[in-house]
Amino acid sequence: MTSEELFSKIQSKFSKVEKAAVQVKDYLTVRIASPAELVPLAQWLKDNSFDMLETVTATDLLGPVDMKGYIRQQNFNPFLPEGATPQIEAVAVAGYAYKPVMDLLYVFFSVTERARVFVKLEIAREGVSVPSLVPLFKSADWQERETFDLLGIRFDGHPNLIKILTPDFTVGHPLRKDYAHIKDRFDE
Amino acid sequence: MAMILEKLPGLTKGLPGGELLLTTSDYFIDLGRKQSMWPMTFGLACCAIEMMASYASRLDFDRMGVIPRASPRQADVMIVAGTVCKKMAEPILEIYHQMPEPRFVISMGSCANCGGPYYDSYSVLKGVDRIVPVDVYIAGCPPRPEALQYAVVKLQEKIAKMSLKKGLATPQQEKGSRDING
Repeated sequence: MTSEELFSKIQSKFSKVEKAAVQVKDYLTVRIASPAELVPLAQWLKDNSFDMLETVTATDLLGPVDMKGYIRQQNFNPFLPEGATPQIEAVAVAGYAYKPVMDLLYVFFSVTERARVFVKLEIAREGVSVPSLVPLFKSADWQERETFDLLGIRFDGHPNLIKILTPDFTVGHPLRKDYAHIKDRFDE
Repeated sequence: MAMILEKLPGLTKGLPGGELLLTTSDYFIDLGRKQSMWPMTFGLACCAIEMMASYASRLDFDRMGVIPRASPRQADVMIVAGTVCKKMAEPILEIYHQMPEPRFVISMGSCANCGGPYYDSYSVLKGVDRIVPVDVYIAGCPPRPEALQYAVVKLQEKIAKMSLKKGLATPQQEKGSRDING
């Protein structure tokens, strides 16, 4: 099954699903509009041989980063006088579409078809939660916990949504662009 | 402080007319201690690959009496090879306290020395010497196996200067560790 055939099959069932602007390699990359469409699409994919959830991850598209929250010395040269112009500054990358959203990515794999579907979903950075896929795919459990831990995205219906990677004393979600590091007992 | 060792074959045979050898007990204790440095291998990142290479047949750590131990209770020296995350800091401290004294620490590579390329990171400890006293630092990213073996030679030189009179600990250990729990 080519990606075009697959896409027409998906679109006949879910008319709101559209192709993403950037395709990941030659895999079918689709974008859904709201979190409510996620579970029906995942259920349909699971019923149609895409029975393996490979990845759940997300990207924070806010930018450019404010450096003040980091441990980083903006003047790393110790010979510069006090109050010199910072050597490291946050500059926007030209041509990169910064916007205050979280871009979620789900990768479904079909063992029989040897095909992948990349499903993208943009949500607001604050106050929006996504339905959990743990009832459908067991592999979503730890990956959603990781996404929650590093980016602070809440997954509704997850059985055990707690930290998985960062130590208990880490406050906040480190991969958020507005993350400000609070010094812990291992920092001076 | 001295002791007389009788019937020490090999060494005493060459001495003129003697079955006696006079030396200090420090010399013999340090000799035994430095020739069998059993490391607690602490492979945390890519430095562990170099550490494994130095145990393997081409470079052969065994000829220096260095045999890796899987248990801290049988180990004399801890080789911290790799990036120390803040989450890993407490297990390292626990394992360090499980080692019998005198215990030594080799900090291998830039990450274990000072945080290395992850200095600005939110999750990486800026040097293992913030939690345990380090005897030998090895620079490099990662250091070559020869550098690790040279570090053991340096540690042996350090052990050879230890004295029972002064106590079993190295000067750094006597001075007190920068132990965050202590």
